[in-house]
Amino acid sequence: MSLRHGEVLVEEAFLATIQDMGRFGHRAKGIPVSGALDRVSAAYANVLVGNPSTAPVIEAVGGRIKLRFLGGAVVSVTGGVSEVSVNGVKVPMWEPLLVEGGSTLEVRGVEKGLTVYVGVSGGFTVEPVLGSASTYVRGGFGGLGRYLRRGDALQFLRVNHVKIFRNVEGLTAPKEVVNRIAFPSSPQTIRVTKGIHSSLFCNDFDIFLNSRYVVTTRSDRMGFRLEGPRLGSASSAGKIPSIATDRGYVQVPPDGEPIVLMSDAQTTGGYAVIAHVIPPDADLLAQCPPGTEVRFTEVQHEEAEEIVKKYLESLMNPPVDFEFPFSWGEVPPEEILRFR
Amino acid sequence: MSNPMQGVKIKLTGGYVIHMEMCGEISRECNDAVLKAYHTILKMMREGEVKGIEEVVPTYTALTVFYDPRKTTWRAVSNTLKEVISESSRRSFGDVFTPKQYEIPVAYGGVWGPDLVSVASEAGLTEDEVIRVHTSRSYRCYMLGFTPGFLYLGEVDERIAVPRLKNPRVKVPAGSVGIAGLQTGVYGIESPGGWRIIGRTPLKMFDPRRVPPTPIRPGDLVRFFEVGEEEFRELKEVFIGEFKTR
Repeated sequence: MSLRHGEVLVEEAFLATIQDMGRFGHRAKGIPVSGALDRVSAAYANVLVGNPSTAPVIEAVGGRIKLRFLGGAVVSVTGGVSEVSVNGVKVPMWEPLLVEGGSTLEVRGVEKGLTVYVGVSGGFTVEPVLGSASTYVRGGFGGLGRYLRRGDALQFLRVNHVKIFRNVEGLTAPKEVVNRIAFPSSPQTIRVTKGIHSSLFCNDFDIFLNSRYVVTTRSDRMGFRLEGPRLGSASSAGKIPSIATDRGYVQVPPDGEPIVLMSDAQTTGGYAVIAHVIPPDADLLAQCPPGTEVRFTEVQHEEAEEIVKKYLESLMNPPVDFEFPFSWGEVPPEEILRFR
Repeated sequence: MSNPMQGVKIKLTGGYVIHMEMCGEISRECNDAVLKAYHTILKMMREGEVKGIEEVVPTYTALTVFYDPRKTTWRAVSNTLKEVISESSRRSFGDVFTPKQYEIPVAYGGVWGPDLVSVASEAGLTEDEVIRVHTSRSYRCYMLGFTPGFLYLGEVDERIAVPRLKNPRVKVPAGSVGIAGLQTGVYGIESPGGWRIIGRTPLKMFDPRRVPPTPIRPGDLVRFFEVGEEEFRELKEVFIGEFKTR
């Protein structure tokens, strides 16, 4: 068994890829950043299993994945609210779970939110491409170069998982992190700064801020298309030169319906950019399934700079809460014992 | 001497992006200014003279700087950019950056260039004339982007400057060479695209497993030459960084 330690088989997967915090430094060559859609959840999937927050994790958009661990491991499931089980027994999200060799972890699809992350002690070991494990499916590189599918064998670093579990047992994410997704506000409020072409939009920028938009099914890792009041003034602005783009840029194509660029955003684009969703709120949007209402609220760049600073600090070193797995004196529930 | 910041617009977005628009319209002079600033700032970054700038992306008319608010502020980065502009505006393009010339073999027309026929008829030229015009000059790489390794090159002879397709193709093969107005370009990977495809290079233009994945930098020069079917097969998948013309 020890030979298979550090290996996990994919039994089912849907829109699942290996992701980390992104591939930086190559945008001038046209290479997108990629990386987890909801970076906060990905960071917690890691710290809850004793990894640095930037280690590779599995992202499953829609939260449907089934994995069989050939050896023991500490695992965690974070992100969109889903029913998660180990060997058929329901287990909590946002907590370290000790699984034995031969165990099956199943995530049955999101009930709230959209994207789910699975972290494993040691982190998935895929060959980094240009410094990152993130999968860019359109380019066929990073991770496995494609979506995960049944029969894939993934390796993770061989670590002393029992010892790691002793260190992380009882850790959980702070309530405000979990509640972002468990109790989303409706409509979800997304903070933006002005975009590079805001001034070209005249009144449309106010319309954009004062309206509700709905996330459509025409959304993917590259961008979320929204439906709502059309922002027509951009097309009258004439042809604008292509500019560098990034996750969070809100583009308005000639049809007037905004697209929020997400992790696999193209590096440059010729559509007018009305606004820029700030990074922690791009994470929030990544948890808005089609049909979710969103409204945008403006923050100034200076304020956004302070928010991004704190966001990056907490991504690198996510604050955790500690909860005793069971109350003192109480006999631990059978479910918890089963995974020891 | 005129103020080098004249006409330069600095825009801040998202809390971590500074977009420096050098001028409003695409021109060789404007791209000169962008690329002089780009290569100047890269040099400063290599020499450790700037703090907190993570990544810089040049486009036709602008330079976009992604910075880390944990390490710096927009004010500090803006000041650096002003220094960069005043420094680079004093110097000539060749003084800041020495372009390399890349020769790229292309099989024109047929299955490789399905739009050569329509480009020729719109231009009122024969297919051979279009090929001759397209291969008759070297082009500057203005920028790379939207997809990995896509080269934006210019400017083509006005006689063959035909507009994009009305309905973009869902799939354009890697290596395809296209025309869109005064621009010509090469697709680094297979992707959707609306450029008029006149040919294809057998070379591997982009390889994520190499560092760098393409040797061509903004400011470099590219010249195309025609090859036949046999040479196309011989050169198939040769990495652009390892291709030497005879």
